[in-house]
Amino acid sequence: MRSVMLLLAAQTRRDRWVLLFWIGGIGLLALAIGSAITTSFADEAERAAIVALAVANPAFLFLRGIPDGLGIGALAFFQGFSFTAVLAGLMSTFLVVRHTRADEELGRAEMLASTPLRRNAELIATLTLGVMANLALVIVMAAGYSAGGLPLGGSVVAALAVGSVGAFFVGVTAVVVQALPTGRASNGVAAALVGVAYLIRGIGDALGTPNAEATQVTASWISWLSPIGWGQATRPYSEPTLFPLLLSVGGFALLAGIALLARSRRDLGSSLVSERVGVAAAGRGGRSVLGLAWRLQRATLLGWCVGGAVLGALAGGLGPIIAEAVQDNRSLSDLIARLVPGVTADIADIFTAALLGIGGVLAAAAGVQAVLRLRTEEAEGRAELLLATPLSRVRWAGATVGVAVVSVFATCAILGLAMGIAIAQSRADMTEVARFAGAALAHAPAAIVFVTVTALAFAVIPRMTIALGWGLLVIGFVIGEFGELLQLPEWLRDVSPFHHSSAVPVEDLDGVAVLILLGIAVVVAGAALILVGRRDITA
Amino acid sequence: MSAELIIETTALVKRFGRTTALDGFDLTVTGGEVHGFLGPNGAGKSTTIRVLLGLMRATSGTARVFGLDPWSQSVTINRDIAYVPGDVSLWPNLTGGEAIDLLTSLRGGASAKRRAELIDAFEFDPRKKARTYSKGNRQKVALIAAFARPARLYILDEPSSGLDPVMESMFQRQIERVRAEGATVLLSSHILSEVEQLCDRVTIIRAGVAVESGTLADLRHLSRTGFRVAGVTDLSALRSIAGVHDARQVGDAVQFEMDAHAMSAVLAELARQGASALSAAPASLESLFLRHYGTAP
Repeated sequence: MRSVMLLLAAQTRRDRWVLLFWIGGIGLLALAIGSAITTSFADEAERAAIVALAVANPAFLFLRGIPDGLGIGALAFFQGFSFTAVLAGLMSTFLVVRHTRADEELGRAEMLASTPLRRNAELIATLTLGVMANLALVIVMAAGYSAGGLPLGGSVVAALAVGSVGAFFVGVTAVVVQALPTGRASNGVAAALVGVAYLIRGIGDALGTPNAEATQVTASWISWLSPIGWGQATRPYSEPTLFPLLLSVGGFALLAGIALLARSRRDLGSSLVSERVGVAAAGRGGRSVLGLAWRLQRATLLGWCVGGAVLGALAGGLGPIIAEAVQDNRSLSDLIARLVPGVTADIADIFTAALLGIGGVLAAAAGVQAVLRLRTEEAEGRAELLLATPLSRVRWAGATVGVAVVSVFATCAILGLAMGIAIAQSRADMTEVARFAGAALAHAPAAIVFVTVTALAFAVIPRMTIALGWGLLVIGFVIGEFGELLQLPEWLRDVSPFHHSSAVPVEDLDGVAVLILLGIAVVVAGAALILVGRRDITA
Repeated sequence: MSAELIIETTALVKRFGRTTALDGFDLTVTGGEVHGFLGPNGAGKSTTIRVLLGLMRATSGTARVFGLDPWSQSVTINRDIAYVPGDVSLWPNLTGGEAIDLLTSLRGGASAKRRAELIDAFEFDPRKKARTYSKGNRQKVALIAAFARPARLYILDEPSSGLDPVMESMFQRQIERVRAEGATVLLSSHILSEVEQLCDRVTIIRAGVAVESGTLADLRHLSRTGFRVAGVTDLSALRSIAGVHDARQVGDAVQFEMDAHAMSAVLAELARQGASALSAAPASLESLFLRHYGTAP
């Protein structure tokens, strides 16, 4: 027990900054959402309007969750819960992988395993750390919500709902790392499972049934298949109940038990997916730096493309179904027409346009992740090996930035194609495929700006590359998604490249904005490539 | 041997924030020699090598490789360099063979025959993914890639620290081969026996400064010979000879160290006392280190 405590202390110390940023960041978001809603939506009529708008627009239900009445707290929970739950899930995922499979892969676990510890001592410490981090998150979030002016009781329940999602994914990831051979693969798969939980809840919520007053939506049974759905079912600010959280807590206990059992029965370093023998010589593509950049990114890119295709097909398939459901509900469509005059666009189009925006963020994430490889290559000493050959820094960095840009286009295009094909089938009109593929590509320029800014960060402040790359993307996403709600000043919202993407097919393509974004990308990329040649290669 | 200068650094300084890694370091390596680059961990060996490869810019002082500035002309210079880092990190999802081909291709390609010979000589399995390789096997990847294509200058940073003795002798044979072909080698190490066996000249670096540079014979001259003698009874007579150090009784024998100039006096004294058995060893570079640093490397 003492040794587990020592390990726990060491892991906590290693994570102190990372967890501070995660927990502090999510807490600040809770505070911002809480206070924005209490100040800007103090009037119930305003709340009724925004809720009706959400009920009328299933994209909102898909992305955010279901409205739960007109209370101030209920509105805040509806707006922020799913997103904060995803963040809690990702925080937990990366935390577990960092201390388990990643350490095992890099050989650090071996040193610890040589000391008189029980075989799963490290995992016990990590599970404990994961639970503690989520408890801290619960406290900070509850404080954030109530400091923002929301009732304390509901805030505690809301924070517990978020923390329960985090805890569930601590368990999920603990099992994932037993099965996969590398930290990178474990992170990818576990983070994708967080995404799946979000998507399942999205489908269930978008297919939910609104009440006659358009103030509330009851999620369909599909949402009950997702831990994020369980959290949402606590209804913290209307009829709070903690019973749905028994599912997440029970799930955590079950998964943690499986992981502990698996860890105590397997060899150090072994996994279900074993390493196969590969080729003895490189193919033609494997003999150039561009080939290397592509080779390093292709598996990850495949993951992003599959994610994009799933999201696109879902959105394309759901859009028409939802539009039909809303039109069939006469009383609802009348109410919407009265409350929100001027909603003329096709509901299916609004839905797909909103999801294409999310696709733009996905594409940016794929591109940013590709650029971040430059930093890992440098930090782990492989850049040194390459740059000791007659390979210029510009070609080295340029190849990776090029692959990152390709990743952006590929993710956008596949998402658009999948969406277009799904819609074309329901409308029996094959021209929709091209229309939606084009609409998806409208989000590529903003994503490419993120790619180049990350490359610039790598050229100028290499040690901060990874934090800046992901951090700026999250900030851009938060400004885009919550900027209006948080009533951020216009200039701040203009800073986010996503703000300048055109929401085709609802809006027309803004050609000038596209050219400006691409121009910025070219200039920033050029600066990055020049500056990367002017600094030391550091480990 | 041509007197062409392959590497020349003058008053090289490299600072990282407040720490000074190189503090006016001078190094001269001429064409065709195998130059040992000795120093304890953290002395500045790897920093020097990174400056020579154009990976880092010197804070002040000059560095020249083939007469060119490595910072501004690294691409040109690196065409003729083969490099093996001390701690080889590879792409986890590439096989060893793929990594070898990538590295040699970036340098312009290698002959398939030479590659196959080296893989055979180092008993290396190129089909495994790099993440499954041990330190020694990762080092073999870098060594095979370095030796598979001829270079004018081989820069090897503690290249055999992960190799077993059989592989180390294979490595030494490769050094002999490229030396015979006229190439220049800069071999950094803290394994002294390796340097003693392979190198023509040695530069010793400590805390970023060259403390000694010359041929091994030059350096031995500065050094001592260790004696172990049986049948000697009069320790104080030995101790009174100038240049004899640390004479002491160890079991039946007497041990002491001797400066080169004391040789005839010592031999005469040993003969006078009727020594019955004698073993002498040229002082290893270990003792040079002991003298320079006060500690063994």
